This record gives sequence, C-alpha cells and structure tokens, in this order.
Amino acid sequence: MSDQPPLQLKSQKFREAREKDWKALAKQIDRAENGGLRKFTTEELLELPVLYRSTVSSLSMAQSISLDHNLITFLQALCARAYVYMYGPHARPGVMVRDFFLRDLPRSVRALWGELALSFLCLALGIVGGILMCMADPSWYDPLVGGMSQGRDLNASVDDLRKTIGGTDNGEPLAAFSVFLMSHNTQVTLSAFALGVIGGLPTAFLMIVFGMSVGAMVWLFASKGLGPDFVAWLSIHGTTELTAVVIGAAAGFHLARRIMFPGHLTRKAALSDAGRLAGTAMLGAMLMLVIAGFIEGVARQTVTEMWARFAFGGGMAALWLFYFLAVGRAHKVRPQKVTHGQT
Amino acid sequence: MARPDLMKGGAVTLPSLNGPVTPVTTPEGVVLSFRTASFASRLAALLIDFLIIVLVPVLLVILYILLPFEHVKFDNVNMDHPFVQALLILFVLIGFFLRSGYFTLFELGPRAATPGKRIMKIRVISHDGGHLTPSAVITRNALREVELYLPLTLALQASVNGGWLSLVALIWALTLALLPLFNSSRARLGDFLAGTRVVHVPRERLSFDLAEQAPVGSPGLIFSPEQISVYGEKELVVLEEVLREKRPPTLRAVADRIKTRIGWVEPKIASEVPSDEAFLRAYYAALRAQLEGRMLMGRRRKDKFDD
Repeated sequence: MSDQPPLQLKSQKFREAREKDWKALAKQIDRAENGGLRKFTTEELLELPVLYRSTVSSLSMAQSISLDHNLITFLQALCARAYVYMYGPHARPGVMVRDFFLRDLPRSVRALWGELALSFLCLALGIVGGILMCMADPSWYDPLVGGMSQGRDLNASVDDLRKTIGGTDNGEPLAAFSVFLMSHNTQVTLSAFALGVIGGLPTAFLMIVFGMSVGAMVWLFASKGLGPDFVAWLSIHGTTELTAVVIGAAAGFHLARRIMFPGHLTRKAALSDAGRLAGTAMLGAMLMLVIAGFIEGVARQTVTEMWARFAFGGGMAALWLFYFLAVGRAHKVRPQKVTHGQT
Repeated sequence: MARPDLMKGGAVTLPSLNGPVTPVTTPEGVVLSFRTASFASRLAALLIDFLIIVLVPVLLVILYILLPFEHVKFDNVNMDHPFVQALLILFVLIGFFLRSGYFTLFELGPRAATPGKRIMKIRVISHDGGHLTPSAVITRNALREVELYLPLTLALQASVNGGWLSLVALIWALTLALLPLFNSSRARLGDFLAGTRVVHVPRERLSFDLAEQAPVGSPGLIFSPEQISVYGEKELVVLEEVLREKRPPTLRAVADRIKTRIGWVEPKIASEVPSDEAFLRAYYAALRAQLEGRMLMGRRRKDKFDD
C-alpha cells in the first residue's frame, strides 16, 4: 500500500475536493440539533445554508458519477438530516405568531363559512332539541347532562341552582371543575374535528349531542325561573367557548366535504389541502378554548351582575366576530409576502 | 423507488436496497430519497411515547406520596383545601397536556420528533418537500383522536358490554388505525391529511474510499476488460460491503466465486499469489473504474443480468 493512489477515478477527485465541506456541515448539524444554534457566530450562521446547498448538489452529482456506496449513503443521510433541520417546523417565533394571528387564522376561518353555518345549525338544533325533549319528559335530563351536572340536577332547589351560577361565595371548589370542563370541551372540539374524516355524520351527531346537554341545562334553570340568569352566566365564557366548538366542528365538516367531493384534485391532494386549512382553524379553536378557560376562571366569579355578564359575553362575541371577519384581508396593492423560516 | 423527473433537473436516485422509499423533491430541486419508516419502527416509537405518557403521572403520584405534605395524606384529604385544589388543577392540566399536546409540542421542536421517534431514528417531514408547517403538525396529531384513542375506547367498551355496535365500530376504527399497512408510503390517516410522511433519518459515518486502497499495480492483478465486465452495480455494492466488513471466511468465499466466474489464472510464482483481500480490492477498483467510466457516458449497468 502506498501513498500514491493507483488510479485517480473522477469520483475520487470529486470526493477529495468536497469532503471538507461535508464534514463541516455534519459538524454544524450535530451542533444545531443539540440546540446550539444560538451559540453560532454570524459567519457560521451565514455559512450553514451555503454548506447545505453545496452538499445537496454534491449528492446529486455523486449519484451520477460515483459508485462508492458508502459515500452515497453518507451523503444521503447527511442531506436528509440537514434537510429535516433546515425545513423543520421551527420558524422564527415572532414572525410565525404574527403571521398566524394576523393572516392565516382569520383567513382560514373565513374560508370555512359554509361549514360554519352547518355546524352552527347543528349546535342550535341540539340546544333547541335538548330544551324540547326535557320539556316533554324531564327524565331526559340525566342522560343528556350526565357527569357534568355537579349538583345541578332535577332535585336541586332554586337556591342551590342560584348558588352554582352565583358570585364569589363558593368559588374555590369550582376552580378544579372548570379546568376539568375546559379539557372536556377541548376534547369535544378535537373529536368533532377528527371525526370529520369518517364522513362528517359523527361530527354532526357530536355537535347535536353537545348542544342537547347545553339545552337541557338551560331548560333546568328556566323551569326554576332562572333562565335569563343562567344564560347570562353562560354567556361570559360561553360565547368564546361555543364559537370555538363551532369552528372545530366546521373544520371537521370541511375535511368530510373535501374527502367526499375532492373536485378536480386527487383525493389525496384534496385531503392534504383540506388538512392544512382545517388544521389552522383548529389551532385557533384550541387557543380560543384556552382563553375561554381563563375567562371562566376569572370573570365568572368577578362579574356578577346580570347586565354586566351579558355585556361581557356580548363584547367577547363582537370581538371574535370582528376578528374573524375583518382581520387579515388581503390588500390589493400589497404584494404577497412569502415567509420562509430560518433558511 | 424515485422516478427520475428530468424536467425538474433532479438526480436519478439509486434503487434502495432495503424497503420502500419516499422520494421528496427539495426546494433546491434535488430528489432526496428517504427510506420510509417501517410500520414496526413507528409502532415501537409510539409505544415508547405511550410509556412516557403513562409513566409521568405515575411518577408524579409516587412523588406526591413521598413528599411530606402532612395535611394532604390520603387518609384525611380535605378536598376544599386551596393547596389540594391547586394540585388537582395542576394534575388535570398535566394529564391534558400529555394526552393532547405531547406529540404536537415535540414535533414542533428543532428535531421534528417525539422522544420515541428520536430513539427509533425517525422524523416527520413534509411530503411536498417544503417547510413542515405548524398547522401540518397539529393536524396530523389531532387525527390521533380518531386513529388511536377512538379504537382504544371502543375496544374497552366492546370488552365491557360486548355490544355488536361497538364491535362494528371497533373494526371500522381498526381499519383506519392500520391504514399504514395498506399503502406504499406507510402513511397513516393523519399523514395524508397533513401532507406529512414519517421517514427514517439515520446517521451514517463517512468511511474511507476503498478505491484508494487498491494495491498498486502488482503484476498478478491486472484484469482484462472481459473479466471485469462480468458484473454490474449491484454486485459492486455487495463487494464493497464484504470488503468493509473484512470477515476472512466471507472474503475467501467471495474471492473464490469471482475467480471461477471470471476464469482467473493464479500466478505461477508463489510469492505473487495475492491474498484474498488484495485480490478483491484490486477487482473492486477495476470494476468501479469501468462502471463509473460507463456511467459518465450515460450507460449504467444495474446488475450482472443487465445489458
């Protein structure tokens, strides 16, 4: 074995010339994956995409001139890792958050208007149905409301009921229950969305059942002469929460529609198209549920007057309406801005 | 296998030796052929993640029992105590996070993988080659509700009250959950919806170039073009593997087979008889030189049956 290679293949020269770059990129990706991107100097940061591109082009060249299998697997794995890192979901948090709230979210919710109407209809139908069913036969109340009643059952006296929607007097034990309710409603929203994939009917069913449990509670309070009080109490967080549930179900309906009627796209393409739109709306719905949880935790106990409650709930509803209708409309003159995260 | 797309200027990828491949055209116009993560490795990753999801609350409860909170021991728990309430809220929140946020948050991180996926060396990528967007990650994980939790719930129901309706629902849900087994890209429903795929992203080490180590022109190791052109690229890859492994019995067997195949005549002088390894190295270098030469002319030879 000597220092002088016996034959100089093109692939050997190629490798000699570029090996240094590949090793540099491998080292940088190792560091970046371990969360060390912050410690990169400006030069290193600027160098990273250059190294990445040159390595990717090395790969495409190596595939057509080299038969060194180890080299090609190495380059493929390195490019794959670099690619996964470079095109990973991590965008700059500030830009990502701003784009999401000021553009993506309201736009995708607006794009769902037909489905929103349908899911609102299902919910309204459920509420009315729940009230009518309980009026016809009070024994419907228990199966409809189930475990969420927390003392608001048929035998509760007017005073008991008034207490559950009252002010600060017994607020503390309710706190844990609110958190439970929040995660329950989030679950309902998630399921309503996800069930859209299996045809949309389950989503409609879920929405109607959810509406019925709300309707049944309204009936219970109304039958004890506390109807307006209950609605006022519910409206504080309910306007936010029910809007979120309606949006979640609308996203589910959208999935169902695009799967069943993909139009000129293939079903697979339509599905992933719908998935992005619905996913964005869904994320908005989840955030709204968290906000609703906060309102529930704070405002429910502090806002006690009926008119104040209605004003608060109505204000929130107006706010959401304005946000989803007006924010992020495309201006005619402004060119479409394309954001790439960190490349 | 990747189809060469000449209009996009992408490279023609080698046929993969192991398992199906997910080709992705990066924004740079290069086709990266990722190895599709197998159903087994995805299941293993899921089980690891589940183990974490289940073990964290258990550990928390154990921690709670071990820590000396004398007024909240189980024999005299006072549910109205604000401290207990706070703990309860914390516990519900952690449970909620573990069920609904665990996968999403980890996949939004810099490595685009949950701990389980990281251990199995698999990652989530966007199928169209672009950025993996946060909404895609959320969509693919929200669909777990249908694919995973729904079948589990139904299975529980069916085992408890044994209704035929929940049995039918269970079969339907299971079909959805086992979708990765029935399509070539091993994608589950959530992957289709979000336009994502799960791929194998291993770390490979760059080894030396075998061609550099070919023995220098010893007189006994010259091959005629006919002797070389017996084999193709597939055999070259196998030969490379054998040479990198360096196990004497394999070396011997492979050298013997090649010698008979190409009609190799051993040199008369005993000192010039090459060792098996030297012979194989020389043959590897010669074969690669010939195949790469043909490749530059645009004529590739897949294996020994090609041409």
